[in-house]
Amino acid sequence: MAEPDESATRPGYSLRKRLLASVLTAIALAALLQAGSAYQSALQQADEMFDYHLQQMANSLRGGLALGMPPTGSDEDNADYAIQIWGPDGVQLFRSPRAALPARAVLGFSDVLLNGAWFRVYSVQTPYQTVQIAQDMGARQARARALALRAALPMAIIAPLLMLLLWWAIRRAFDPLERTRQQVAARQAEDLSPLPERGLPDEVRPLVQELNLLFARVHTAFDAQRSFVANAAHELRSPLTALKLQTQALERAQTEGERSHAFARLEQGVDRSIRLMNQLLVLARQEGTSQQGNAPQRVDLLPLLQQALADALPQATERAVHLALQPSIPAWVEGDPDALNILLRNLIDNAIKYTPANGHVEVQVTAQPAATGRQALLTVEDSGPGISEAEHAQVFERFYRSQDASATAGGSGLGLAIVQAIAQRHKAQITLGTSPRLGGLRVQVTLPALD
Amino acid sequence: MRLLLVEDDRMIGETLLDVLRSEHFAVDWVQDGLMADTALRSEHYELVLLDLGLPKRSGLEVLRALRARKDTTPVLIVTARDALAERVAGLDAGADDYVLKPYELDELLARIRALVRRSSGRADPVLEWKNLRLNPATHEASRDGESVSLSAREWAVLEALMARPGVVLSRAQLEEKLYSWKDDVSSNAVEVYIHGLRKKLGNDVIQTQRGLGYVMPKP
Repeated sequence: MAEPDESATRPGYSLRKRLLASVLTAIALAALLQAGSAYQSALQQADEMFDYHLQQMANSLRGGLALGMPPTGSDEDNADYAIQIWGPDGVQLFRSPRAALPARAVLGFSDVLLNGAWFRVYSVQTPYQTVQIAQDMGARQARARALALRAALPMAIIAPLLMLLLWWAIRRAFDPLERTRQQVAARQAEDLSPLPERGLPDEVRPLVQELNLLFARVHTAFDAQRSFVANAAHELRSPLTALKLQTQALERAQTEGERSHAFARLEQGVDRSIRLMNQLLVLARQEGTSQQGNAPQRVDLLPLLQQALADALPQATERAVHLALQPSIPAWVEGDPDALNILLRNLIDNAIKYTPANGHVEVQVTAQPAATGRQALLTVEDSGPGISEAEHAQVFERFYRSQDASATAGGSGLGLAIVQAIAQRHKAQITLGTSPRLGGLRVQVTLPALD
Repeated sequence: MRLLLVEDDRMIGETLLDVLRSEHFAVDWVQDGLMADTALRSEHYELVLLDLGLPKRSGLEVLRALRARKDTTPVLIVTARDALAERVAGLDAGADDYVLKPYELDELLARIRALVRRSSGRADPVLEWKNLRLNPATHEASRDGESVSLSAREWAVLEALMARPGVVLSRAQLEEKLYSWKDDVSSNAVEVYIHGLRKKLGNDVIQTQRGLGYVMPKP
């Protein structure tokens, strides 16, 4: 097991939560900004309005105000105001009850601190009198704030509502994802059926489609593996059954002749079991990830082929099969020399096995131009019975044995599956056909060649 | 006792052939489904040992075809396929028994004997006729409790006749039980074994029905 990916164990983040957080924060910020600016401008407007109000009041008083007459407006309205009026000679003509204003005043607007409270003062002078009106800033600000708050109120109400609505909408939008998550989470390990793609949004559907494609691939691989294990178990049973029978036959043997006969058979049985085991191991290695094999290197196929031929010679001689190398040239490819050696041996052994006595097996390595650079071309042909077109695809399946040859050859049925696995690792193509010269099977392997 | 062995694995076939022959069976061995079919159509066997995974035609197909012909030859499936569904399918297709590879040779032989016994309608594993006893499991023959030594072929002839007292078996029928394809059959071979049996067991045991064949009368 590889170390678990750190990002997988880290508390993950939720798209939905992220989206919610950013949208809600944005709304809150916008609402605050809007409310703040509304508040500010309302304050300012109220300020201007009150100033205007002061000015108006002063102007209305400077005309012809009867002495001793209180200024306009009701008591309540005027509770915040204080008024003083002086004659041209500086004699105070009028003073409202609560007015405690400084006797001198700056003309126009001014702010005055009086007895710890700020006042907004407006003074206007005419040839006849000087009018001064003051307003308590505390009261004035309280009124302004009340007005400003009222201006900011709608935003304060709308923002939470908007947030609630968006929260709900985002939740809804993520429902299909959550549904898909639950469907995947509820699965049994062996359930690789596709997830439903209907009713999914455009953002999620491609992901689910890819998942389904992956499921399909895993399913195929899983099936292949399962059938391989089942087949392997089945294939192991035959040699083991033979071994068991052979030992029991040895036990029953009465005469010395029978015993040695049974013993020879037992030995063959053991050899066959070992061979099958080795083939299974080779196949498992070649079909495994490329990490298990050697690192690819520059390999010349010609010496490899010569070595494989030399190794196969005793077997060919024993079966009276003529083994020959056709005119060949060095062909450099990138690959694993051990694996390529196994490929060559399997092809040559196969050819020898299916070729009748006094038949021919010929091998060759050449190069040929191809669409993408040059190719190394490896040919193994024999004078055996060949393989019918119908069987071409099947012979590469594990444990497949030619229908006609099953009785005579007695192989593991793994040879060509191994060849196939090695070829795939080397990006090589295998072509089966009929040998024009020898009449039997011709196997051609093309590999991408190096310069 | 003639047996058809259907087994595509050469090593298993060779060894089993030897063992079965040493057990006094006349065995024909075929290695694919098509050959099995042909053999079953042309010959009569007391029992078929049938592998399921065969080239050209599966064992199950061979079995179904056999039963479709109303052929009741006992069939013992001997296979590595152990899935319940396959065992059920095999028995439902008309097999009489099912043995899984790898098996014990003794068990396989015992099952063969049991099937043969059952198909001939006997319950007792030991054949008895008057003062003669024949034990197929141990290959012991005795007369009045005294052991009699018989050759494999003599044994086969006696067993065939004793299994069905009162039934006349022709020379051809006896030959069929005695020989597999590989054997050379000389024209008077059966007479030779009958003669040997009469010498060992007495003249009155096997009667000759002129022109018809041989019979052991009902006791």
